[in-house]
Amino acid sequence: MNPRASEDAIRAWAAARHLPESHLARWLALDAGDRAALLETAAALRMRAGRFIAAFDLIDEISVREAAPAQAILARAELRRILDGAGSAPGRASALLAALRVMRYPRLARTTDRIAREIAALGLPRGIRVSAPRELESDEMKIELAAHGGEELRELIEALARRAGDLARIAELAGGSGWTDDEV
Amino acid sequence: MKFELDAVYVEAATRTGALARRVIAALPPGVPVHEVADGRAAARALPGVADSFAAGKRRMVIMRRRARFLMGCPAAANEFACCGYLVMELASNCPMDCGYCFLQEFVADNPGFQVYANYPDAFAELDRIRASAERPIRIGTGELADSLACDSLTGISRDLIDYFARRDDLTLEFKTKTDEIENLLAIDPRGRTLVSWTLSPDRVYRSSELGTAAPAARIAAARRVLAAGYRVGFHLDPIIAYEGAAGDYAALLDELFASVPAARIDFFSLGGLRMTPGLRAAARRRFPRDPLLVGEEVLAPDGRYRAFAPLRMRLYAALNERIARERSATKVYLCMEGAGMYRRVLGEAAPTPAALGARLARGS
Repeated sequence: MNPRASEDAIRAWAAARHLPESHLARWLALDAGDRAALLETAAALRMRAGRFIAAFDLIDEISVREAAPAQAILARAELRRILDGAGSAPGRASALLAALRVMRYPRLARTTDRIAREIAALGLPRGIRVSAPRELESDEMKIELAAHGGEELRELIEALARRAGDLARIAELAGGSGWTDDEV
Repeated sequence: MKFELDAVYVEAATRTGALARRVIAALPPGVPVHEVADGRAAARALPGVADSFAAGKRRMVIMRRRARFLMGCPAAANEFACCGYLVMELASNCPMDCGYCFLQEFVADNPGFQVYANYPDAFAELDRIRASAERPIRIGTGELADSLACDSLTGISRDLIDYFARRDDLTLEFKTKTDEIENLLAIDPRGRTLVSWTLSPDRVYRSSELGTAAPAARIAAARRVLAAGYRVGFHLDPIIAYEGAAGDYAALLDELFASVPAARIDFFSLGGLRMTPGLRAAARRRFPRDPLLVGEEVLAPDGRYRAFAPLRMRLYAALNERIARERSATKVYLCMEGAGMYRRVLGEAAPTPAALGARLARGS
């Protein structure tokens, strides 16, 4: 696509989805290959403006962090699998955003993943929910109990008590202890 | 003077004062001097200028300060374990341009580089505070401006050092990223003035600290003022949590301790990069290709973007452990962190701001 046609196609896509002018200007300021790669992605996944903006911002920040152009980021295997894969367009758009977030926040993704695995490995009964802050924005761990009647509540509390040491260890992980420097 | 100015604006009422005369006499040739009735108007953001914050840095405004000079540290809040710092506002804005600097948001509407000609009025405020103070107080001039960046022009440091040298219950802190120390070397501070440097690894300096002295030059300057009788401290703030940061900050501390023994350092403050959404947007707009502005920061409970909690804590702990290896009595404290983080990192309950402030003022 020649540059003029590419710009026209981007303007048409942006107008149809009411993309804010500021994002359109940033999009058009990219070099030809980058803006075409973004248009291809937006069209393939039939993105709405909100999702496009989220993806665009993530790609822009990954680009700055890694000194990599947008088209090279979108050509990575883990993203191509999503872009070229089966499934609904909205489902693939969600998967793309999730994959971009892992690239944008690699250590956060590893850390949240490890904490989630550690919590799952406790095998706590239904009725007990242990959670860390979604983005580990603080070290506050939450434990919720959902019981029907005194007997069930007693059982849940006893199950928790048996895992007190493991829970404390996980809380320490969320606070930054128990990691090697390579992990965090 | 190491920084270039486009112009100097002098408020008419201050034109014959000592500060204006010193600055005008020391200006390099070609810098125009304009007289204005009200310096506040000259300090406002210029309409139609693409980066009015940067333009403000090159426009010095010598004017009267209408508000009090002394105030509590603007970073203090009940949610943080604070250090009881008092700040003395003698200037606003800074000729250097750090990508993460909070002034990009804080003085966005008034970015002119204001220097207050009536600064001796601050001494009367200090005397009033002394009269009611029960503990030693530490007072800094480096919150809304670098304490020493233009000292070769203004010469303010000499009057300040002289005032504090005669008051054993007060400690003055000059906070700087420069090596502008020549005025200091000629005066005996009698132990009442401390010079602190913000220290960053080379990577941060090169990426995000435009116009500042190189880290090695800051360390060399610290060594010189120490030999001249000044106390020294260091702010590892903002600590930027890029991949490999722990190693770079440890190497920086190795370099520092090879030049300045830990036992001669009054304190280290540690503070992670934190940016309000407004600051982050302004910084990204001004420095869109700086990778250090797009780290793994998330929106923290205090409404600022910060490195996610375990990462921040790991970095703090690693730096505290490196400092502790020197086995000195150097005080380490955290800036703009809560009591929980303080306890996790430093292994002790956060002292009250008054107690920590007094300890930092005493230097013991």
